[in-house]
Amino acid sequence: MMRARTLSAVPTVTRRAQTRLGIALITPLMILVVGFFLVPLGNAVYYSFVDFDGVNPSPSFVGLDNYGRMFADPEVWHALRNNAIWIVVGTISPLVIGLCLALLLWKVNRAGIYYRMVFFFPYVLPSIAIAIVWSWIYDPISGWLNRALHAIGLGRLATGWLGDPRTALYAVLVTAIWAYTGFVLIILLSALRNVDTDLIDASRLDGVNAAQGLWYIILPQIMPVFLMVTTVTLVGGFSVFDIIFIMTRGGPNNTTNVIGTYAYGSAFQLSQISYGTTLALLITVLSVPVAVAINRLQRRLSLQGTGA
Amino acid sequence: MTQSSRISELRRDDRQHKEGFVPNRISPRRRTALIGRHVILIGLALLFFFPVLLIVSTALKTAADVTVNPFGLFSSFSFENIVNAWIEGHFSEYLLNSFLIAAPSTLLVVILSTMAGFTFARLPFRGRSIAFYLVILGLLVPFFTYMIPLYFELRGIGLLDTLPGVILVLTSGGVSFGTFFMRAFFSELPIELEQAARLDGCSEWQIFIKVMLPLVRSGAGALAVFTFIQSWNNFLVPLLYLPGGSFRPLTMGLFQFMGGHSVEVGPLAAGTLITILPVLALFLVMQRQLTEGFTGAVKG
Repeated sequence: MMRARTLSAVPTVTRRAQTRLGIALITPLMILVVGFFLVPLGNAVYYSFVDFDGVNPSPSFVGLDNYGRMFADPEVWHALRNNAIWIVVGTISPLVIGLCLALLLWKVNRAGIYYRMVFFFPYVLPSIAIAIVWSWIYDPISGWLNRALHAIGLGRLATGWLGDPRTALYAVLVTAIWAYTGFVLIILLSALRNVDTDLIDASRLDGVNAAQGLWYIILPQIMPVFLMVTTVTLVGGFSVFDIIFIMTRGGPNNTTNVIGTYAYGSAFQLSQISYGTTLALLITVLSVPVAVAINRLQRRLSLQGTGA
Repeated sequence: MTQSSRISELRRDDRQHKEGFVPNRISPRRRTALIGRHVILIGLALLFFFPVLLIVSTALKTAADVTVNPFGLFSSFSFENIVNAWIEGHFSEYLLNSFLIAAPSTLLVVILSTMAGFTFARLPFRGRSIAFYLVILGLLVPFFTYMIPLYFELRGIGLLDTLPGVILVLTSGGVSFGTFFMRAFFSELPIELEQAARLDGCSEWQIFIKVMLPLVRSGAGALAVFTFIQSWNNFLVPLLYLPGGSFRPLTMGLFQFMGGHSVEVGPLAAGTLITILPVLALFLVMQRQLTEGFTGAVKG
């Protein structure tokens, strides 16, 4: 309110100067955004309606053929299933582990910073380094995972984790969870810092136990932040590529293929540019509505005044 | 340990802090709980840190030890692998390329995002919100969706397989978040500041440069660290847009090395260490800005 009144009180000269400066300040950015984001985005839609092989400058219009092929392609459904597993397991695990860690660390004052650094560090590592070190851990012969299993008498579970079609996807998933949990932890810890602890103390006098306290007092207060992290993680799950591409290249026998690796393979290894682009568009079509829906929910919760 | 006991423990600690840290007033039960929590945390921390230790240990082994016992922790010590990767593995060139890619794109992201963040927060004009939504759309649409057409666009304008091409792609990929982030910082500054400056005869440009800019320095710093690490770590952009291999950054060098005919674990480990050391250094120096920055972005 205050803001609106002040704005209308701004003299025209100032308004004009502000407009001029504003346009000057965002012009370089807008050129970049148009040239390197909006134009290729438009081209992506165009590619999906033609048959482009990367060479022919005037590809023929094929209507919805690429889309028809996509829905009839069993590998698409298989890859989508892997995306679904990735999204469900890869969202729930870091959130649960991150929340537990955050609650453990919540009131640690003295050494807290060191713990936080250790847990957060994997998140800033490049995916290639993560992939390399975890492929050593999963090494069938000298890897630490199999050695540890032998050491505790579970040697019969030992396998070539990344080469075994039954375990490959989950092996990569565990790696991704390791790398991502620290991010969730940091965000949730900062949300916990804003939780009203007097309320918890008061509720304890009323005989509320710890589990109830978590469910009825702590969680509602951090819910908007919790939902925000969920959105970011979910949306990331649709476009997962690096870690799977580096660790397994979608193999063995396509068992770890997700839409991202399948689209990349179609476009750049099979030169089916249009089909690959159509597959990549599917990622957006699936992830954007999810993001918008959760964002709405988050906003509603924030407006109720429950949020940080 | 169950969740509930953990929480009640947290509460006990809280009280303990309020009373001041007086060791002899802690009951044995409280002390056990406190030690128990740290035992769990240290265990988990070791588990989390183990892969990083494995990189360092493998990189610093003797070549002979790597063949016999590649992943035994700290069983020998030498810089053989590092020297090998640095010279024969070309990791010195890759390191330089990584800098040549990450530094300019970081600078561009910070400058463009600061200018745009200020505009979107403080300079109202017609059409501004449309421009803002177009920029923010980049946060919603995965890079995947437009990366293939972007490849042909870059090829068409002669930027494929060039450093400027990759720098511009990384910059355009970073400005959506950057603008969103910087706008939050500018929005928080009180309007009285600009009104007072205007009364003192400052032009709009001077208000931006002299009054507002110094107040968002910490935000711009956090954005710089964050963007630098993102560009340094990026895998897909150089994979797609530097196919020739003459400007290979560290991530591509490692990828290339990994896919070789006979993978030599020693130099590969050394290359990995060279890749993560700058990140580690930056992380240790700037970790507060980094974690606080993330947190600020979430609320903004």
